[in-house]
Amino acid sequence: MPTDPPSPAPPAPPSPLAVEFRGVSFSYARADSPALHDISLDIPAGQRLGVLGPNGGGKSTLLKLTLGLLRGHSGSIRIFGATPEDARRHRWIGYVPQRNEAVLEFPISVRQAVAMSAALPLSPLKSGLHHTRAAVDEALALVGMSDLAERHIGSLSGGQLQRAMIARAIACRPRLLLLDEPTVGIDPAGQQKFGELLRRLHDSLGLTIIVVSHDIRTIAASSDRVACLSRTLHSHVAPEGLTPAVLAEVFRHDVAAIFGSDIHIHAHSADACPLDTPVSLTSSIRPPQK
Amino acid sequence: MNTIRYLSDPAFAGLYWPGIIAGLAMALMCALLSVLVVLKRLAFIGQGISHAGFGGIGVAAILGLTASATAAAPLHGIPQFLIILAFCIAASLLIGFISRPTGRGQPSTHADTAIGIVLVATMALGAILVAASRRGLAWESFLFGSLLQVGPWDAAIAWLLATFTIATVLLARRGLLFWAFDEPAAEAFGVRVGLCRFTLLFLLALATVAAMKLAGVVLATALLVLPGAIALRLSHRLSTVLALSLASAVLGLIAGIVLCFETDWVPGPCIVGVLSLMFAAAFTLGGRKAQR
Repeated sequence: MPTDPPSPAPPAPPSPLAVEFRGVSFSYARADSPALHDISLDIPAGQRLGVLGPNGGGKSTLLKLTLGLLRGHSGSIRIFGATPEDARRHRWIGYVPQRNEAVLEFPISVRQAVAMSAALPLSPLKSGLHHTRAAVDEALALVGMSDLAERHIGSLSGGQLQRAMIARAIACRPRLLLLDEPTVGIDPAGQQKFGELLRRLHDSLGLTIIVVSHDIRTIAASSDRVACLSRTLHSHVAPEGLTPAVLAEVFRHDVAAIFGSDIHIHAHSADACPLDTPVSLTSSIRPPQK
Repeated sequence: MNTIRYLSDPAFAGLYWPGIIAGLAMALMCALLSVLVVLKRLAFIGQGISHAGFGGIGVAAILGLTASATAAAPLHGIPQFLIILAFCIAASLLIGFISRPTGRGQPSTHADTAIGIVLVATMALGAILVAASRRGLAWESFLFGSLLQVGPWDAAIAWLLATFTIATVLLARRGLLFWAFDEPAAEAFGVRVGLCRFTLLFLLALATVAAMKLAGVVLATALLVLPGAIALRLSHRLSTVLALSLASAVLGLIAGIVLCFETDWVPGPCIVGVLSLMFAAAFTLGGRKAQR
């Protein structure tokens, strides 16, 4: 059958570290340069880590390695002391993909979509909706979607759909939650609400959370700590420790693509920039004066 | 009416009932699979698989295995059937292999390219082998189907394949639905997405072969698309979609066969024609529903 053998009850994670990367490098086949180079990263259990980086910087690769979906990396990766493949098999990891990859014309309700993850380990002879009702109700209540449970999944707004996907990820009661570009297409007010939702989930479920995004506001709203990733790990600091210079370095390739390679980076101060105030990269990086 | 006369007269009933019984099995399995085919946008893959049957027909012809089953020799058609089945399964797996996703989630070769290659290669092979065998084949029945070609053994095999298909989909439904709805997330939650893809392609090959004698090589895959497309125009609920898909497949089959009897046209185009009209009606109704 197309699911991994179910585990009757996920054993307690034995390690205080949720995620350990030790000297991890990874290259895709036929790629000119590595997608990730020499990444070392510790994420203690219960922490919220934001991974900020430009498009093509290796953020999704980092998530796929954490999920054990890519083979052939160097270095070691442990999730709660286990291999990523075992962690995934034990269903310790909940994953929220970029929402545009789901088939939204699929004829299912929000409840059916949320139940998909929790129902996977059940015997095919059992009713998935019946046996997952309690877990699904709890997950929908946590994300504030109880009243939309019977709506068609394709009828939801962007923000509602995002919350449904988060409910699906937590309905199987994971210990680590991964979110890939969770606020693409969501307005600033929605991003703020999203940050509050993640904080609520973190506090009530004790989850370790990794959010990857190229959007600095998303990272600021949802993280205790930030890792800046552009193929290598540039910084690994608390959000308040990020400086314009660090951000400019991380987004150097994106900026160069817009303004050309001959740019002057105006990082006026090495002081920390508070991330809960609007930060515009283009305000600190200006094209050369003609 | 010809229909009543053909089905009640003992002289004709033995010729036509196996086709109708096989058609019901075909309708069941195609209705179930077509919902997934439409949602996963695999309609063109069905074309590739069914045309691969031509290669099987060519191999059977060069081996001298072209005889159809008769009352005196009911197993005569089995070797040809098995060769066609093997070709269709091999084609489905080959298309799946060539177009499998790479590490970045993108296919190494796009599915439409893989289908285009396998489709023409097997068609060419079949045409060459049939020509080399120097046997006169009834091309029209291969292309558009024939009720008279379906014998009791074909009906039994069609029900065997339908039972296997329905049981497989029921047992694997959670993984298959999750994969069809959101493949990247399904993989992250432990669904073996590669196995899901190959399972569906394998079942498509079985359904295509089951439908081939009745509907023909060209039109077999229409039955894997139209019932699901009709149902998805009319409902957003999974249980209703499956029921509508099943109802439209059975209704299209029965109405198509009645049309075939009354007009003496070949069955494949009759069944597909009726289903196409049903889709046009569903398209109009579904459009009005969406506007409201």
